[in-house]
Amino acid sequence: MLRKRIIFTLIHSDGYFMQSRNFRLQKVGNLLWLEKNYKFQHISFSLDELIILDATRNQKNLSQFASIVSGVVNDVFIPVAAGGGIRSLADADLLFKSGADKIVLNSLQYENPLIVRELVEKYGSQSIIASVDYKSTAEGHLVYVNDGSKKIEYSLKEYLTYLEDLGVGEIYLNSIDKDGTGFGYDLETILNVKDLLSIPLIIAGGAGNEKHLLEGLKTDGIAAVATANLFNFIGDGLPNARNHIISLGENIANWNANS
Amino acid sequence: MNIVVIDYGMGNIRSIQSSLLYLGVKSVIVSSDRNDILKADKIILPGVGAFGEAVREIKKRNLEKHLAEAVLKDGKPILGICLGMQLLGLSSEEGGFNKGLNFVNGVVTKLYGEGIKIPHVGFNQIQVNENSRLYNGLNSEPDFYFTHSFKMTSEDDIGASHCVYGSRFVASFENNNVAGVQFHPELSQNNGLRLLKNFIERF
Repeated sequence: MLRKRIIFTLIHSDGYFMQSRNFRLQKVGNLLWLEKNYKFQHISFSLDELIILDATRNQKNLSQFASIVSGVVNDVFIPVAAGGGIRSLADADLLFKSGADKIVLNSLQYENPLIVRELVEKYGSQSIIASVDYKSTAEGHLVYVNDGSKKIEYSLKEYLTYLEDLGVGEIYLNSIDKDGTGFGYDLETILNVKDLLSIPLIIAGGAGNEKHLLEGLKTDGIAAVATANLFNFIGDGLPNARNHIISLGENIANWNANS
Repeated sequence: MNIVVIDYGMGNIRSIQSSLLYLGVKSVIVSSDRNDILKADKIILPGVGAFGEAVREIKKRNLEKHLAEAVLKDGKPILGICLGMQLLGLSSEEGGFNKGLNFVNGVVTKLYGEGIKIPHVGFNQIQVNENSRLYNGLNSEPDFYFTHSFKMTSEDDIGASHCVYGSRFVASFENNNVAGVQFHPELSQNNGLRLLKNFIERF
């Protein structure tokens, strides 16, 4: 049976890993800090996938980010997706060469759908995750690009359909309101849109503890739950959460081979 | 042990390379050069992307000839991974009809099935063929990481193990010295490392 996935998202900005709350960034530590506090090679054995996003606000430096990606992925034998600031085929190539197995797109999808189609053609749908940032307001669900700074004219439902038509492989749906709060996922919105999609849906924004991950995993039509909460899942937090979730009989993968 | 990972410009081969080194393989060469291929103890054919484009890149480098010489004539073990596995088959319908390397009788078609999401992404369980060498030491329905939209099926006995997603398809095959896996062992944690170790030691 196809398993559901637990994904960790690392938010990077200008050489540092960040805790994001409602898209405001707080510096946590650099690569050395990450290795010391997270022992990533070890932690990665309790993750189904890793996503690394560059959220540097002003001028993103893709080659600096690519070298961070290649530092993180050393001896990490899980799928790694990377993105943030991809605007061309050359940008995507650089991230693939730096150890990314998939790329994550966001603003490009709105600004230049033709390049998105070219990326789909070259690397296949399965290599491309479409990231979508939204806010829920009285007027409905509004979609934002450029690290949550620019509202676009599509409604959330229209935008999801538009992205699926572009041929992307998965949707990474992130609630700006819930981001970093630890209050739980925005299941209300998620339930409202999930049936529109015929591609896998990853939900993000709000997971603060194991219970939230479980709520997402138990919901039909959600392929994966993501968390970017460096504080709440520090040290053995994530491995312990995974082991407990497996012991509850949830449908997630077991890797019990002796290598 | 000298393993050549075939380089034809498609996708991320870094994780394959680093998992082989992690397992203690002395020499891992990324190459499309005939001499390197003919000197290899074993060959890995990786691949991410579209079938048609992959075939064009392979032909551009004369790899279909070099690989046939190494695998069919010299009997070197080869492991195709994901698109690399599909390329070892007869043909694919991805992006129009394209012929593969024809090392095994397998045909690649679009995944289908009621209510399934495509691509098939994530860990899924394998129904292991009882004569398998690749899954030695793994439990009965081991989890491996898939990410694909097309699948292989075969009418011949090619030593296939299967996965079910929408329909039943070839998760892996092992036909004498020619093996392939639809999933990504290099992204499948301990299970994947064990499978690669089995390919190194048992083929």
